[in-house]
Amino acid sequence: MCVWCERYADGYERWYFNPANYARRLYKIRKEEVEAAGAEANPQAAGGMSLLGRDFLEAKERNDIEAMERMRREAEEISWRTHFGQVITLDDALKIADIMYPIAVMTCACRRSMQGLPDEENFTCMGMGPGMYKWERWPDTYRGGVQFLTPEEAKEVLTKLNKRGLVHCIYTFGTPYIGGLCNCDYPDCGGIRTRIDHGVRVLWKGHQVAQVDPELCNGCAACIHRCQFRALSFAPTRNKAYIDPIQCFGCGLCALECDQEAITLVERSSLPALVEAW
Amino acid sequence: MLPTITIDDEKCKEPLSCRKCLLICPSYVFGLGTNVGPQKFREIALSHFIVRGVRFDKCSGCMECVEICPQNAIQVSF
Repeated sequence: MCVWCERYADGYERWYFNPANYARRLYKIRKEEVEAAGAEANPQAAGGMSLLGRDFLEAKERNDIEAMERMRREAEEISWRTHFGQVITLDDALKIADIMYPIAVMTCACRRSMQGLPDEENFTCMGMGPGMYKWERWPDTYRGGVQFLTPEEAKEVLTKLNKRGLVHCIYTFGTPYIGGLCNCDYPDCGGIRTRIDHGVRVLWKGHQVAQVDPELCNGCAACIHRCQFRALSFAPTRNKAYIDPIQCFGCGLCALECDQEAITLVERSSLPALVEAW
Repeated sequence: MLPTITIDDEKCKEPLSCRKCLLICPSYVFGLGTNVGPQKFREIALSHFIVRGVRFDKCSGCMECVEICPQNAIQVSF
């Protein structure tokens, strides 16, 4: 079971459907901890790697498993307490748009760090909750400004971003306060990179897993470019899409692209080997 | 093998406007950030932006960043 649901769902189907986790009383960014976590010469340049420095990469290179594990654990502990994410489907994101207010679209800090993407091309991130009313206090976090959206507008934006191939992830700001609904891809997203490149769980898998029905898959391969997690490939011998269930993050982007409805999402909890594979 | 990547901030003045190295790098090795923390009610001046090597494990040593930098501010060595 999802540990965040165990702790914070309070009877709701998933922890991020519990309105209490968006409530003002939780809104408190533990600033000192966040700063300590990224306290390097270039705190912001770290761009998603702020929890892992060069020492981690050096340990990896010399295959020092013990040091890597220690750094991984430390990074995860800080992240889970202050700022971590979980992949969600478009359906779940649309539901959040109905339970959460306000929602605003803003520029993505990861893409600014990775590409220096100009603000006008970079409105792919969404901020939620009472924190958004304070955006003017932090002009740099909200570089380019914010646009507040009605729930219907938020759903339209989410659907468009999904069509573009971006994965929805919720992020905490002082767990369990959920304040971010990010729309991410590899290699732009610091969270996806930290997880995929180094196995550090600053980003958790979602509650579902995608499966291909080989009877329905016609081998058109339209889904292949939709996977940001290296879980989906094309199996030439069978002429079918292939999804690695262990590697799948359950974002559902591949399923939405399939005209044949050959890809379905099943609950992670229904697959014994994956129940705890977050 | 991890490279050593150095950026001369004296030469690299406004990386947010230039961003040539960020875009040419085939594996997004660089990170763009600032040398000051977040400032209340103030947007950080362009001169405070800096570029650093971050994802050293993805650097192949192609040296395209070194070649494209108009200020010759980047050094990569193995």
